[in-house]
Amino acid sequence: MDPAVTRVLVEASVKIALFFGVLLTVIAYMTWVERRVSAWIQDRRGPNRVGPFGLLQPLADGIKFLFKEAITPPHVYRPVYLLAPVMIFIPALVTFSVVPIGPAVTLFGRRIPLLIADVDNGVLIILAFASMGVYGVALAGWSSNNKYSLMGGLRSSAQLISYELAMGIAIVGVLMATGSLRLTDIVTHQIANGWNALWQLPGFLIFVIAAFAETNRLPFDLPEAETELVAGYHTEYSGMRFSMFYMAEYANMITASALATTLYLGGYHVPGLAALGLPETAMVIVQVLAFCLKVAFFLFVFVWVRWTLPRFRYDQLMNLGWKGLLPIALAHVLWVSFLVLAGRA
Amino acid sequence: MVVRLLLGLIFVLVAFAVVRALAPARAALAGIVLGAGAVVLVALNRQAITSVEFWAGLVGFAAILSALMIVIHPNPMVSVLFLIVNLFSVALFYLILNAQFLAAIQVIVYAGAIMVLFLFVVMLLNLKAEEGLRGGGGPQRYGAVILGGLFAGLMFHALRNRGPRPYFEPGSFDSGFGTARELGRLLFTRYLFAFEAASLLLIAAMIGAVVLAKRRLR
Repeated sequence: MDPAVTRVLVEASVKIALFFGVLLTVIAYMTWVERRVSAWIQDRRGPNRVGPFGLLQPLADGIKFLFKEAITPPHVYRPVYLLAPVMIFIPALVTFSVVPIGPAVTLFGRRIPLLIADVDNGVLIILAFASMGVYGVALAGWSSNNKYSLMGGLRSSAQLISYELAMGIAIVGVLMATGSLRLTDIVTHQIANGWNALWQLPGFLIFVIAAFAETNRLPFDLPEAETELVAGYHTEYSGMRFSMFYMAEYANMITASALATTLYLGGYHVPGLAALGLPETAMVIVQVLAFCLKVAFFLFVFVWVRWTLPRFRYDQLMNLGWKGLLPIALAHVLWVSFLVLAGRA
Repeated sequence: MVVRLLLGLIFVLVAFAVVRALAPARAALAGIVLGAGAVVLVALNRQAITSVEFWAGLVGFAAILSALMIVIHPNPMVSVLFLIVNLFSVALFYLILNAQFLAAIQVIVYAGAIMVLFLFVVMLLNLKAEEGLRGGGGPQRYGAVILGGLFAGLMFHALRNRGPRPYFEPGSFDSGFGTARELGRLLFTRYLFAFEAASLLLIAAMIGAVVLAKRRLR
């Protein structure tokens, strides 16, 4: 094979393996963070028995899930029933491939961008795969052949579709300011002109609210409202298959946090870092750490909100999405276009 | 060489379809035919594995296979899933042709939005899986065989007599070809009228749907 092709393939494979490993670890530890933070909010102790501070708890949970019996109820439609958890999990991971976690770094004499795919239509790819997540939920609900599952799946699909719209229109503001669909361009534009969240606050807030709805987190976790729907679309799942849904939820949270950081909080940008005059490698490390810190902040907010706010009623959810967020997002787009034109004149 | 690859693909697909149609219950057998065919084809064409044509052929294989499964599969829900796979393959074709924007839009609009509606309709209609394949009655069957034979002849003719130039050379395109920037420029200058006319059409359809749906409430 051509050595250039081989080099590209090796580079991509190493990056994919690295991203995959880190994401799965963070997903596992998010369950621990969720339980510890919820305990802290509710003045309890939380899991603190397995390892120091309970740090080995995710490992114990993983082993438990693997060894539990995975019951397949006799009334499910088996091929789709087995496929659905995977179809939720994969889009969440794929979306992360276009998010830059740091500037390009020079390693072994090559410029290596710190993202898997620096594609021209990064934002569109994100929206495309976000819309793919609906299938997993809807199919899990349908293939379980259970009225609660079906209701949960239907609710979730309607919710995802409604909030995708507001999210997409909120992102339009960022795109107009940058003039590019490439996520690295969006970050460099913010480094030059200040973070988008500072002057597009409504868009930022709409994006974050929609991200909560897209990830099925409280206060928008109606698909699994246990008081009405038992456990919604994953009622009939057990063992590792059930845990796939949870892993997908956390993977979605991490991706949504990374997107909010990249689109609105300057990505890996640290204000005033260039003035310090550090060597290049140290700069890159600090910037990657800054990115992780921003993502961690969003993840904490996700957990914080979950243990603070009660759940919406379904009509409230639809009213908020269609009559609240969507008109505000449209007005925001108009306002940003005026600002962009004024800035250019 | 490309001709051989394509003919091989078509042959494997036809064999798969015949096995599926004659023995609907033996899904594993059809799968084995498919897998064995794929392995043989890759082994025969291993020197072409880095060429664009090979990958285009592979995507075409996935597209045709999923299209076949839409028709063959007894469960309407699974048919919808294969239609999603098919629309994805079309998006991959756009990518191979350097039309990245179109590929993303294909996934968002067709695979993402329209197919969700299809899925809902099939889900809520609660269609039962059909027992096996219903062979089309009498005259329809002969018509299908004749038309299929004609189409196969046409394909064969086209493959045999194609010119020496490759089907497409993405390397010869402009660097901006297929990007959102270029597409937007064209839509808002050269094709502005068509663009606005299409949007008017869509709004008319939307208003029409609302009027029809709300007629009862008044």
